[in-house]
Amino acid sequence: MTLSIGIPRALYYYRYFPLWDTFFKELGFDVRESEVGRRGLIEKGFKYADDDNCIPIKMAFAHTLGLRDKVDFLFIPRLLSLDSKTCFCPRTAGLPEMLQYSIPGLPPLLDPYIDERYRNTGLFRSLSEMALNLGKSSREIKHAYQKGERAYQLFCKRMAEGERTPELFERVQKKPLTYIKDGFVKKIAIVGHPYCLYDPYFNFDLLRVLEEAHATLYTQEMIPKAEMDSKIREFGKEIYWASGREILGASLYYLDSNEVDGLIYLTCFSCGVDSMIEPLVRHGVKENGRTLYLCLMVDEHTHSGGFLTRVEAFLETVERKKANRRNG
Amino acid sequence: MKLTVPHLGYIDIFLGSMSRAVGPEFVFPPKTSQRTLSLGVKYSPESTCLPFKFILGNFIEALERGADTIAMISDRGPCRVGMYDVVMQQILRDLGFNFTWIAMDNTRLWSNYFLRFDQERKEWGASVWETLQALRLSWKKVRLCEAIEKRVHKIRPLEVRRGETTRALVECLRLIDGASDFRELRESREQCLEKLDHVEKDPSRIPLKVLITGEGYMVINAHANQDMERRLGEMGIEVTRTMWITRQITHALHLDFFDPRSKRKAIKASKPYLKHNIGGECNASIGYPILFKKEGFEGAIQLLPLGCMLEAVAKNILTRVSREHDIPVLAFSLDENLSETMITTRLGAFVDLLQKQRERRRSG
Repeated sequence: MTLSIGIPRALYYYRYFPLWDTFFKELGFDVRESEVGRRGLIEKGFKYADDDNCIPIKMAFAHTLGLRDKVDFLFIPRLLSLDSKTCFCPRTAGLPEMLQYSIPGLPPLLDPYIDERYRNTGLFRSLSEMALNLGKSSREIKHAYQKGERAYQLFCKRMAEGERTPELFERVQKKPLTYIKDGFVKKIAIVGHPYCLYDPYFNFDLLRVLEEAHATLYTQEMIPKAEMDSKIREFGKEIYWASGREILGASLYYLDSNEVDGLIYLTCFSCGVDSMIEPLVRHGVKENGRTLYLCLMVDEHTHSGGFLTRVEAFLETVERKKANRRNG
Repeated sequence: MKLTVPHLGYIDIFLGSMSRAVGPEFVFPPKTSQRTLSLGVKYSPESTCLPFKFILGNFIEALERGADTIAMISDRGPCRVGMYDVVMQQILRDLGFNFTWIAMDNTRLWSNYFLRFDQERKEWGASVWETLQALRLSWKKVRLCEAIEKRVHKIRPLEVRRGETTRALVECLRLIDGASDFRELRESREQCLEKLDHVEKDPSRIPLKVLITGEGYMVINAHANQDMERRLGEMGIEVTRTMWITRQITHALHLDFFDPRSKRKAIKASKPYLKHNIGGECNASIGYPILFKKEGFEGAIQLLPLGCMLEAVAKNILTRVSREHDIPVLAFSLDENLSETMITTRLGAFVDLLQKQRERRRSG
């Protein structure tokens, strides 16, 4: 009988899923991800979470609850850092315990301790330790990890080319632009944590809404690493949050290159990282003076109507500005 | 150079005493007031945490008073305090202030701070011996302040006339701050103890014991936690808190082996509940209630600024700790919309609960 491992569709699932998925499948496990967010499911999970948590964490509670009775193990990595400079939000570091203590009757958790910065247990070491405990040989593990790594590289490459990879985000597919209003394509850069950007339940399918409104999307994944590093160096202070660094680097890159017409920052209520990065991005926008900026904050009570109205208004402003510029 | 720092516990007494002896000149922000908070709230990004708002307000008021250099700690994560420096500098420069910013992080500690301090010392004309003496005096002052405060925590629930102890404490702190050498400090110590002895007490009361734990800034600063210690004391509760400047410094210097309530021991106590030290005060917030329960404390209050990343983790886990160690924990997640009524009502209910618990334990 093959053991099944459940992966909640939450947090860094949206970045590292290809790796995790391939890794476990190669090792012969049956990987089950939680269902795509549904209102009833998510709200049931919210009841278990403390109200001081941010929504992405509450979503993790909900998705974990959804998997509770279906799998033998739950994979909740304790993500602290993946390189020597940056770390992740501390909430993800305490997630395994938070889940364990709040939701009764969970299957055993697999919580590899991923901390490259202080303990030198990077992704490979921590995952292989975990798999060794599950009774796999180190040769198998190495092979599986290499495959996973390749899948992740491919995923990154496709993301960089502006594709929403079908296996992850099958609901959002890039459509050819058949109709271009006034001969213009709106170029919109969109930044935020991966779990804000790519979770269609969280952001009311914002990416699809934007694409349907004939916007070409530019994301933080499209920027080469060297460019990102040079932008941060120019900025002067090393940003120590991995996603914060990416967001700021991408925003500054798009602002400086004048490649885009508008910049959207998608954030969630009570996010500590965004509360520090957003003012910096806003400051950059003010200094730049040409790019339009919209900061969208989502909380439990955000209604799709109000949210999408703001997006539409923003898109119209972008369009009008472009038209004005063309006319005179 | 007119240096300023934000208010944090007795740090102003410590640095004030240092600066009088060996420089440099300090311009302390005025006592944190409602104006400080409104200034902070007005110019801070909306979703930053409460300490950010208080500290920004402190800096604005200090710059208005003529300070031209700001010293502020910095960090490499994961708490957002490490990013304060960039964001605050931007805000203050946009407001039109001119200043030098000294970001005190733990990289290149020696070259950045000690050498700099040494240079300042030479310019001021103080010898190394004088500096060491000043350091010792300032350290003793802070120790004394904290000892007095710990005594006040014990006396306050017993006082007969409400507010008498608090008045005595204010006088004591003024006395200690005024002492300029070791002899005067000894004298002021005697005077302080005498003052506290004079407070009329009712020895028949057996106060409940409550621990205040949580995020450091909120715990240590009375202005941030709405004078929680005084309020509880006047309700007849003996309180103590987890965060003391000296404890924090000895912890940072790894000199706290003999302190039974050291942060290291708290972190160790939290191990069964949170396997890894995730930084900040998170682990200590979980560990302290366990430690203090063993010392006979009957309840704990966790203070956290709204949206604090680390303490939110602690809050989740404390519910479990509370259940398993049978110690009620009340969590206050505070932001700038503080309402006195909310705080007194919740504290009142919590105290009632503790009282009931005690009665139940006595009877059975």
